[in-house]
Order: sequence, then C-alpha cells, then structure tokens
Amino acid sequence: MTTPGDLMQRRQVLTLARHEVGRSLFSRRSLAVYLLVGMPLALMLLRALFMPGSMRADASHATTEFAEVFHFFLLRFVVFFANAMIFVRLFRGEILEKSLHYTLLAPLPRTVLVIGKYLGGVLSASLILVITTILTYILVYLPHGSAGIQLLLSGSGIANLASYLLIVVLACFAYGALFMLAGLFFKNPMVPAVLFLGWETLTPFLPTFLKVLSFVHYLVSFAPVPVSLGAFALLARPVSWWIALLALIASSAALVFVASRVARGLEVTYSAD
Amino acid sequence: MSANHIVFRDVSKFYGEVLGVNKVNLEVASGLTGLVGPNGSGKSTLMHLMTGLLRPSRGEISVLGVSPNCPEELFRLVGYCTQYDNFPNGSTGLSFLRFALSLHGYSKSEADERAWTVLARVGLTDAANRRIAGYSKGMRQRIKLAHAHCHDPQVLVLDEPLNGLDPMGRAEMIDLFTEFAKEGRHVIVSSHILHEVDVISDGVIMIHGGAIVAEGEIREVRGEITSHPIQVLIRCDQPHLVASRIFELEHIVEARIVEDEGLLVRTKDASDFFTQFNRIVIDTGVVVETVAPADESVHAVYDYLIGEGLGGGSA
Repeated sequence: MTTPGDLMQRRQVLTLARHEVGRSLFSRRSLAVYLLVGMPLALMLLRALFMPGSMRADASHATTEFAEVFHFFLLRFVVFFANAMIFVRLFRGEILEKSLHYTLLAPLPRTVLVIGKYLGGVLSASLILVITTILTYILVYLPHGSAGIQLLLSGSGIANLASYLLIVVLACFAYGALFMLAGLFFKNPMVPAVLFLGWETLTPFLPTFLKVLSFVHYLVSFAPVPVSLGAFALLARPVSWWIALLALIASSAALVFVASRVARGLEVTYSAD
Repeated sequence: MSANHIVFRDVSKFYGEVLGVNKVNLEVASGLTGLVGPNGSGKSTLMHLMTGLLRPSRGEISVLGVSPNCPEELFRLVGYCTQYDNFPNGSTGLSFLRFALSLHGYSKSEADERAWTVLARVGLTDAANRRIAGYSKGMRQRIKLAHAHCHDPQVLVLDEPLNGLDPMGRAEMIDLFTEFAKEGRHVIVSSHILHEVDVISDGVIMIHGGAIVAEGEIREVRGEITSHPIQVLIRCDQPHLVASRIFELEHIVEARIVEDEGLLVRTKDASDFFTQFNRIVIDTGVVVETVAPADESVHAVYDYLIGEGLGGGSA
C-alpha cells in the first residue's frame, strides 16, 4: 500500500530530478558537456565533407566504421567523460558552489536526495548522449547518399542503432552511479575518473577475472557489430546479454546505495572542502 | 527528550584535532534566545549541530523531540538561515523559494502563492524575478531569511541574520523574529551586535572556546556572576544624601555620582540593597525618579564572562 509518506518522497524525487535536469542542460557549466559531445559530430561532419568520391559510392563500410567510432571514441571517451562531468557535479558542484546546505535543509531523507539527483543525472546524460549517438550515426551513413540512407533505415540499421542507444543509456546508469559516488568522496573527482578511464581502456588486455570488474566489459555485450581490439587483446567468452544487464543494474544499484550511505553522514564544512 | 525544547546532552564536536564545541548541555525553551560569543567560539557549530548539517562527535541532540539525524521530520519544524552567502547558480529569488517549497511538498500553485507572500514579507517582491547573484548584500540576507521561514517552521535558527541589513531592514527583521517568538515558537539568533541581542532576546546563551559559559534570562545570568558587584543607577532629587546613607551598608562597594545620569551604586548583595534602599527612601523622604540595573545587559554579562577571558574586560 502506498502511504502519504511514499507519495511525498516520490514527489520529492521528481522535483529533485527535474531541478537537476534543468541544471545539467541549461547551466553555464553544461557548456563543457556540449563541447565534448560536439566533438564526434564535428569529426563526422569533417569526414562527410572531405570523404573521397570513391568511398562515398560504397556504403558497406559505414556499419563497421560507426562500430569503431562508437567503441573507441563515443563509448570510451565521450560517454565516459560526459557522465563524469554531469554526475560528479551533482554533489561536488554544490559543495564547491557552497550551496549544498539549501538542499540538505529540506525535509527529505538523504536517500531520497541521492536518488532524485541520480535520476536527474541519468535523464540529462541519457538525453544528451542519445541525441549525440543518433546524430553521429546519421552522419556516418549520410555521405553515402541514397545507399547509406537505405542502409540506415533498413531493419538492421535501426536495430543496430537501438542496441547502441541501449549501451549509451546503460552506460549513463553505471558510470553515473560511479561518478556520483566519486563526487561525494573526492575533492577532485576527475583524478579517480581518469584512473578509471585507464582501467576501462586496459580492459581488452586484462584476463577474464579482471575484465569483470569493468563496466565496458558488460556494455560491449550489447554491441551489434563486433570490432577488432588489436593483436594484444585477450579474448574472453562474451557475456550473455541478461548477465550483462543484471551486472550493470546490480552494480549501479549498489553504487547508489553506497552513495546514499555516504550522503547520510554528509556534513557541511565548506572551508574544509 | 523534551518535545517542547531544544536539548543538547553532553554534546561535543571535534574537527579532527580541533575542538568545535565541548560537552555542551543546553535546554532552550520557546521565545527568542540570543546566542553570543566571539568569532570562532562555536556559535555556528552549535547551530549546524542543531540542524544536522554537522554530526556530533559525542552526545545527543533533540529539537522538539526530533533528532537532527531525521531530516524528513526535522525540517518540517526547523528553518535555518546560515552564515553562508552563496546561492545556487542562476537562481532568481522566486525560483529559489519555489524549489525549496516544492521540496517541502507544496504543489506548484501553493509554492507559488507562498513564495510571493514570503517575498512580500521580506520586501523583495520587485526583485523576485532577478537573479540572486545581482542582489545587494542586504537583499541576499533577506532572501536567506525568506528561505528559512517560508515553510512556517516552529523553530527558526538564524546565524547573524542582521548582517548587511540597513537600519530599516534590521528593524523589520527584528519585528519578524519577535512576532515569531510571541507566537510561542523558538527563535535562536546569533549576533555579534550585543545591543541588538539585548533588545530582542528573552534569554541568552553565551559561548566561548566551544563551551557554554552562561545560559538563561539575562537577569538570572547576571545575578549568578558574584565576582562582579551589581550596578544600580538611581535618579533622585538628593543623590548626595542617598549616597552617604548607602555607604553605611556593608555590601556596598562603590557609590558615586555620575554627571547627568545619577547615583551609580555597586553592591555585592542586590536583594539586601533594594530592601535597605526602600528604608532609606522612607526615612529621608527623597523623591526617586528611577532605579534601574545598570549592568543587567547582554553587553555587561558578555564583558564579565567572556571579555575578561579574552583579556578585554571592561568591568
């Protein structure tokens, strides 16, 4: 049964999420995120402008090209750092701005505060990165003219795009939870973010028992087109989609839970931060 | 713990090795209570502890029976105007209050209506849609006060609330605090302007070096300071005659005529002094205009208890 307290907490979660979406999408600080997500679009535009005529005629490579761009640039760099920028700011940004106390003075449990902010972050990051992925996808196929458009709108083209979008949204959940927690723990969360990026980048070269400790290992399970990771990559048995989904959801939930525990002990000592 | 009081039981707070407050025991009743002490004495720490923005290293706190560890209940009862002069980036006065009120569970229209009412109360209606970043210091102070009481709390905790306000603003805000206190709510005000605390407070808490040095009504606190004779100023038509008779009393330390003010008497036993003084008035037929305590003020008590400790006593 839903109690008035539950209803109140749901409203508070939605209010916080809406507020965070506004801050993430329309504040001056979001400019850095827009510059970051503008990079793949700019690159694809340049590629489209300067593509030799012989390549334009052949659309068959577009699917593989997007897979490589997605794996090595979008997922491992753009999605990763966009999430870092959005989620680290949820708490650390307000601590640096010395305005966190206003939210802490509201009649809401700290768990609700964490969930509301997290949800706001996931919505904002997903919105920005889903749009970026769709536009990049289109820009890869578009220079190939009608053949490219046909391929893009074909059953497999749409299905592939849906898989990439699923990866992006799941990455927002997983990286988001991690970076929100980092924002609560570290004064300069970008340092652990860069270290974690190193770990994620090294994943292909790690033995299986270490691969399972990275998000990208599970995220690529949803990739519709396999890519070559190079001669030194250690191949591992692919994770089935439902195990990957479970692992990502469970680890995100665990990180949000830890974040809410940390938030319960959060004190306002701006001078020390 | 009491459901009508703000209670501190043996509360200590350490920032690593640094002492914030030490073994604080307090019971604050409703009304307007002044919290005074020099910079760094622990006033803000005490207020942060009361509102859960800091956790005590030791001891227990209860605000009207609610623990500060339970923000969902606490902040229905408490509003806190902190010393921080920062606001969320890009907020306008109206959006700032709307967001706070929506977190309190008000619907959009209720939050809107209430926000406008509170903005009018603090004199910011015209600036409601301007960004807070462009507000003057006084306006920022007003919007903080609006935020603290927009949800109609039972307890108002105000850290240096009059800072930056012009004299008119100070008077308006003091009226607001006293109105709240008269309604039977708790209003705790920290200020370094002792005169203001003196005028508005029903009681006082004095803190120094993280320890409570006095607590209660000003008169009670003053009465307990036995190391300093109590000062009484008498205005009458024959001050010299009264002075000569008063000098005969054992507990009188000093009696001197202060030009344009009257006869200033310092006594170690106030209650006996007033008994004997009445007798002198009857015996001599002196016409007395006023008899008033000269050092039953926050300022005097502060000087006796804290000023001396700092080496700056003026008693």
